[in-house]
Amino acid sequence: MALPALIEHDRALASQVLAGDELAFRELYRRHTPRLYQLVLRLLGGRDADAEDAVQDTWLKATERLDRFRWECAFGTWLSAIALNVAREQMRRRIRRPEADWPEDLDPPAAAPFDVVDSMDLEHAVADLPDGYRAVLVLHDVEGYTHEEIGLALGIAEGTSKSQLFWARQALRATLGSRQKGIPA
Amino acid sequence: MTDPKDLTPAERRAFETLPREAEPPKGLEDRTVALLQARGVLAVPLRPLAAPTRRWHPAWLVGALAASLALFASGIAVGQLLGARSATIAAAVGLGSSLAERTQQVQRTGSEYVAALTALLQETDTSDAASRERATEAALGALGAAAQEVSRLAPSDPLAAAVLRGLTERRRASQAPPPTRTVVWY
Repeated sequence: MALPALIEHDRALASQVLAGDELAFRELYRRHTPRLYQLVLRLLGGRDADAEDAVQDTWLKATERLDRFRWECAFGTWLSAIALNVAREQMRRRIRRPEADWPEDLDPPAAAPFDVVDSMDLEHAVADLPDGYRAVLVLHDVEGYTHEEIGLALGIAEGTSKSQLFWARQALRATLGSRQKGIPA
Repeated sequence: MTDPKDLTPAERRAFETLPREAEPPKGLEDRTVALLQARGVLAVPLRPLAAPTRRWHPAWLVGALAASLALFASGIAVGQLLGARSATIAAAVGLGSSLAERTQQVQRTGSEYVAALTALLQETDTSDAASRERATEAALGALGAAAQEVSRLAPSDPLAAAVLRGLTERRRASQAPPPTRTVVWY
């Protein structure tokens, strides 16, 4: 199905959901939840229960606001924006972990770029990052958001997004480098 | 030399290979639907009543006991609120107390009621059609009375209407003459 047709189909399903149609909701859920679940799972550091709560919360909020959605962007994009807010709230509620593993006025550790890396190792290294680093890195390097979009989505300045990304990549390289050498991170 | 701020091509490729979708946990869809139904966003499907049968399965009896508890408790509450002070309810619930106390009394009375019905079920020999029928009649009698009270409070309540309709159909079925048998003589 072409993109406009997909959007139109989402729109048709959404109007049925607004009328209380369970089957339409289930179809909409099945179309978008795998993508949504992966996004929040990665943002929340691979915690299944948290991701499950976030997905459920996202759908509850989405159905509450569905009648106000103006269809100026794709339904999936709108849903992801809600999911980002939900995930951000969850991260705020958690016991705060230090956002920087080393002071910013010091030189970053000499972390070599990683070369060949197993997907699972990369997932684990991303999951181990502090929440703020991970959110920016996932949105920028995995999801392809711009710093401006990340700033809007996470409620941070564009410059903060750039700085967080830099430190996130350095931390990731250090973790993967030490794992490849068999040194515990 | 690569700027350390940028991703190397290998790093970029590594990120590109990460999956973009994951199978959500089983049951999450149903839980989300149930939550949306509870919030009134999605309609709750009405299931058709089963056709009345002459024989009552013990599992149905257990269900009837549970339903009768809910309807009976509602009926008592309605009766109290509307001032319907039948001797039975007045004795069971007591009068002259606050609404909160009455609510607690209704809950206690309801628990005692369901305990009595459970004891009745345990004592009933379900292999014996006559004793099963007596126990069923007792349970359904209370169920019908409670459904009547609830329907007085909320005439369009679908659950109370469905119970009353089901009981009426059952009564008609039990009063219907046995089917005539056509005998062909050779």
